[in-house]
Amino acid sequence: MKKISAGRIITYVLLAIGGFIMVFPFIWMLISSLKTWAECGSMPPTWWPHNPTLENYIYAFKTAPFLKYFRNSVIVTIVCTAATMFNTILCAFTFSRLKFPGRDIIFSLMVSLMMIPYEMLIITNYTTIVKMGLYDTLVALIIPFTSSIFYTYILRNFFLSIPDSLYYSARVDGASDWQYLWEVMVPIAKPSLVTIGLLDALACWNSFMWSILVVGSVDNRTLPFGLFAFTDQAGVRFERLMAGSSIVVIPVIILFLFCRKQIVTGVSKGGMKG
Amino acid sequence: MKVTIKNLTKKFASRDKNGEPVIAVNNLTAEFESGKLIALLGPSGCGKSTMLNMLSGILPVTSGKIYFDDTDVTDLTPDKREVGLVFQNYALYPHMTVLQNICFPLKIKKVPKDERIARAKKIARMVHIDEYLNRLPKELSGGQQQRVAIARALVKNPKLLLLDEPLSNLDAKLRLEMREEIRRIQRESGVTTVFVTHDQEEATSISDYIVLMKLGVMQQFSATRDIYNNPANLFVADFIGNPTINQLHGEYTSSGFKPDGTDEIIPIKADVAEGTRTILAARAESVTFNKGENGISAKVNDMYSSGKDWLLNIDIGNNNLRGYCDADYELIPEEIIKVQFKDKGVFLFDEKSGERYC
Repeated sequence: MKKISAGRIITYVLLAIGGFIMVFPFIWMLISSLKTWAECGSMPPTWWPHNPTLENYIYAFKTAPFLKYFRNSVIVTIVCTAATMFNTILCAFTFSRLKFPGRDIIFSLMVSLMMIPYEMLIITNYTTIVKMGLYDTLVALIIPFTSSIFYTYILRNFFLSIPDSLYYSARVDGASDWQYLWEVMVPIAKPSLVTIGLLDALACWNSFMWSILVVGSVDNRTLPFGLFAFTDQAGVRFERLMAGSSIVVIPVIILFLFCRKQIVTGVSKGGMKG
Repeated sequence: MKVTIKNLTKKFASRDKNGEPVIAVNNLTAEFESGKLIALLGPSGCGKSTMLNMLSGILPVTSGKIYFDDTDVTDLTPDKREVGLVFQNYALYPHMTVLQNICFPLKIKKVPKDERIARAKKIARMVHIDEYLNRLPKELSGGQQQRVAIARALVKNPKLLLLDEPLSNLDAKLRLEMREEIRRIQRESGVTTVFVTHDQEEATSISDYIVLMKLGVMQQFSATRDIYNNPANLFVADFIGNPTINQLHGEYTSSGFKPDGTDEIIPIKADVAEGTRTILAARAESVTFNKGENGISAKVNDMYSSGKDWLLNIDIGNNNLRGYCDADYELIPEEIIKVQFKDKGVFLFDEKSGERYC
């Protein structure tokens, strides 16, 4: 038998408490969403609903077109992430591998753009979108988020760490720059790319402020905006609000459970590179 | 395939300490016969790797021409040259298995999958790596990675195989084994091969021809045997051979060479003005000793073994030299003995320019 030290027990107890504090709101959300209105407001609160009901979910789907919101969110997230990944890969390759005059200066200028706070860009982006006649379309939700300097910076640094000899080797083996990028560099960078993709997808999925600005009609709302609107529709009915929230959060949690390993290793690797 | 290099020059944008542009390769002209193994040899910074990179197309040339047979390839990019290249660090694709690595050049060429695998397996057998086809590069030893890199370079039937310091990342024992392997693989495939090395022993042991370079300038290009027996100048004589060639400083006189610090003369005939400062260079095996009367006097210092042979360390005047002696030679330090020089392996060079007189 392995002896378990006191220190180890304390560690696990502390971690368990921390974990519980983190997870409890979500559990409470799920539990509340299954309760009736009366039970939800009862004092003292009950742990497990006496009569678990899906009524609140049915109400949520009836009052607000959550399926449409969901579809919009999926479209926006997939297109945004795919476009961002594509642009990031090309851009990182350009600034790490190709040689042209002014390359490093241009890249420094791009990196310095990261210092401009997002909120400041909102106004200019908004006027641009309106002038382009894209107000209240899904395109308006996608276009401003199809590239990322931050991810480009991270990926460029990773590309720079790949030895030159691999590039020359591939060139001598007959590969063009384009083939080298997709056959050699991208597969090697897969862990970094998965991390970047997941972080970007999460950011798209949760994007709230921008969608509230450029989308008006119900048809083009995404989940976070839809949920926000639903708080009005649900009024003070807490259990209904919790059902709506669960609909929004659960897909993301499922995604995280599937990709947990990549996220964790990717983030810790990126962190070490600084 | 025959390789012809004409007036090849490479200047880099960077400048040396005198503010002159760095000339890595200076006006080099040579012709490599088809199917031969050619060594690019020289100390570090002599431009040998630059030469190789220009042959592969990785580096553009500043001026001059490179021909493969009769085709001018000077301006072709590496993917169009049909050369195979093995890097010092092997540069295997880390995410691909051995088989995928070897198949890669064929995949790029869009060779059908079945044929691709058949050809890769054939080459893998030739370089003795066929047991490890499904391993990743990181699961192989240095020598095995080397073999994979050679297989990958050979699988597309290149016209020219280029090896950049192929042995320097291996340990001493494996190095001996791999250099014979390279020789065998080159013979079996019959491909014209150029390899870069700074190790003269490596170059002389396996190559057919040697290009010896110093500071971007080709010093000598000749058959491997000739470069040892017939060096073009002092630098070549000094660089090739182990132990290093003996060098005696002195003056040329009408009756021969007079080493500094003695009045005795070593008889040698050359077309040089009397009184010219010269260097007499003699291979260790061209120095003979006797306890009789014939030859020039020398003082014995020491005797030591270099494996199976014994070397005697002696002084002639102010000059120190070494020669092979019998293992049962009885060493008496400070003893005065006589030294003679054979005709073969003895050369006379100008002291300043290193130019050869005889």
